[in-house]
Amino acid sequence: MPIDAAHPVPPVFPRFAGPDQIPPHVPKELVRSVGLTTGPEFLASPHDFMAKLHETQPPIFYDVNPYGNAWLFLKHEDALFALRHWEYFSNEGATPFPRDPNDYFYFIPIEIDPPHHRKYRNIVDPLFSPKGVLKLESLIRQRASDLIDGFIDKGECEFTTAFGRPLPVSVFLDIMGLPQDMRDTFVSWAIDLLHAPDRATMGRAMQNIVAYIKQAIAEKKAHPDEGVVSRIAHAAPDGQPLSDKEVFGFVVFLFIGGLDTVFATLNNMWLWLAQNPERCKEIIDRPDDIDKVVEELLRRWSVTFSGRVIAQDIEMRGVKMKKGDRITCVLPACNFDPEVFPNPLEVDFDRPRKTIMAFTVGVHSCMGAHLARLEVKIALQEWLKRIPEFSVKPGAPIIYRPGGVVGPEYVPLVWKK
Amino acid sequence: MPKVTYIEASGEQHVVDVAVDESVMRGALYNDVPGIIGECGGACSCATCRCYVDDAWAAKAGTPESDAERELLEGADETKPNARLSCQITMTSELDGLVVRLPEKQF
Repeated sequence: MPIDAAHPVPPVFPRFAGPDQIPPHVPKELVRSVGLTTGPEFLASPHDFMAKLHETQPPIFYDVNPYGNAWLFLKHEDALFALRHWEYFSNEGATPFPRDPNDYFYFIPIEIDPPHHRKYRNIVDPLFSPKGVLKLESLIRQRASDLIDGFIDKGECEFTTAFGRPLPVSVFLDIMGLPQDMRDTFVSWAIDLLHAPDRATMGRAMQNIVAYIKQAIAEKKAHPDEGVVSRIAHAAPDGQPLSDKEVFGFVVFLFIGGLDTVFATLNNMWLWLAQNPERCKEIIDRPDDIDKVVEELLRRWSVTFSGRVIAQDIEMRGVKMKKGDRITCVLPACNFDPEVFPNPLEVDFDRPRKTIMAFTVGVHSCMGAHLARLEVKIALQEWLKRIPEFSVKPGAPIIYRPGGVVGPEYVPLVWKK
Repeated sequence: MPKVTYIEASGEQHVVDVAVDESVMRGALYNDVPGIIGECGGACSCATCRCYVDDAWAAKAGTPESDAERELLEGADETKPNARLSCQITMTSELDGLVVRLPEKQF
């Protein structure tokens, strides 16, 4: 029975967490506890760790951890299948952010399965289409250039706070029609929500976000503009205006999806660029291949995961999974599947084009993918034009924090003034 | 507005208006034409918007325009010479009347 997005109710699926809550149908030999996103080996070098899972673990296994037990999918082929078959792998109840059960809402459109899903995507897809985002190109280029102006003469910067954070968040706020002066507040809320080690901190962040978004929607309802928040607030697919719960769930989801992912992606990429000066030169020397460069870097440095809830029993690779089980497609690991991307950790701009998992696949494939590609492209072009040679500040430790969006916490960089 | 005729594998035809500069993939999505998925949204990255350009239009729209498009078609085991990714066909006034056939399934 499909959910009614206008009248949300908390999901009734059980959530299993920890070694005492392993369903009886899970074979003992497939139970593991690999510490994905939290363990010391992961945090030492997350992408290397995820690539190595192909050597150390079966392609599908049951991971037990304090945050929620789930089947982990490592193979590119299996993730494509799962993410393209919503009738087996549903998004309803699959998004782990805590919400107030007395004022429940769905994250739209990610928690809505077809056919209703398309109704929501059609409201915003034209703005986020390749053609739609191109209108932003000169604005993004200007913002990138302005940021670089602010620190280039110093010969150093802490990349994540000086560039990686402000660039995508500013662009996102422009698209949404939200004020720039709230930028740093937004980012800290998003960090607490996505990186907090405990659910209480996540819950507090969610409360702050809820309060802010409700006020922003009320303002856009009274004063319409060209931004996405206003477009959603005034949308009426098939002549039927969205309910308050739908508008809220849509806006709050874009807020969560848009703030932290490009940020983490840029941080990962710039750390690698700083450690590989000859590759910076290669990118500079091949200006016409910038799209290939962006695609390969997105493959190598994907930052997140796709979770689903099993809607009907299914067997894959001899593993019997049951309705109500949760799965997580380890998207970065899928991008390192050696059967699809030989020598997977090598950055090779001339790989034949294949489907990368950076933006997941299936109907819930990232709506911001074109914006993200454009931002990465412009960031690379503007940065390398101004700062072609740079390196990690000597002695600076590179630290990763636990969480569902993977990237280094700080990336201190230096270059010749 | 130029028109595109999409013919499903079953033979069912859909004639829809597709604006100039819009892609043939989005023309299908916005008009509820089944058989084109376009899950990556037009980034030339997923090969779920494959179509076969009708012979009469092959000269104007039948040839992949980039290595990426060719490689994705190969990756999808697509061997027909008139296969395209419909996200990579941009509507122009010269393409008014374009006829594309859709595969039985996209994956």
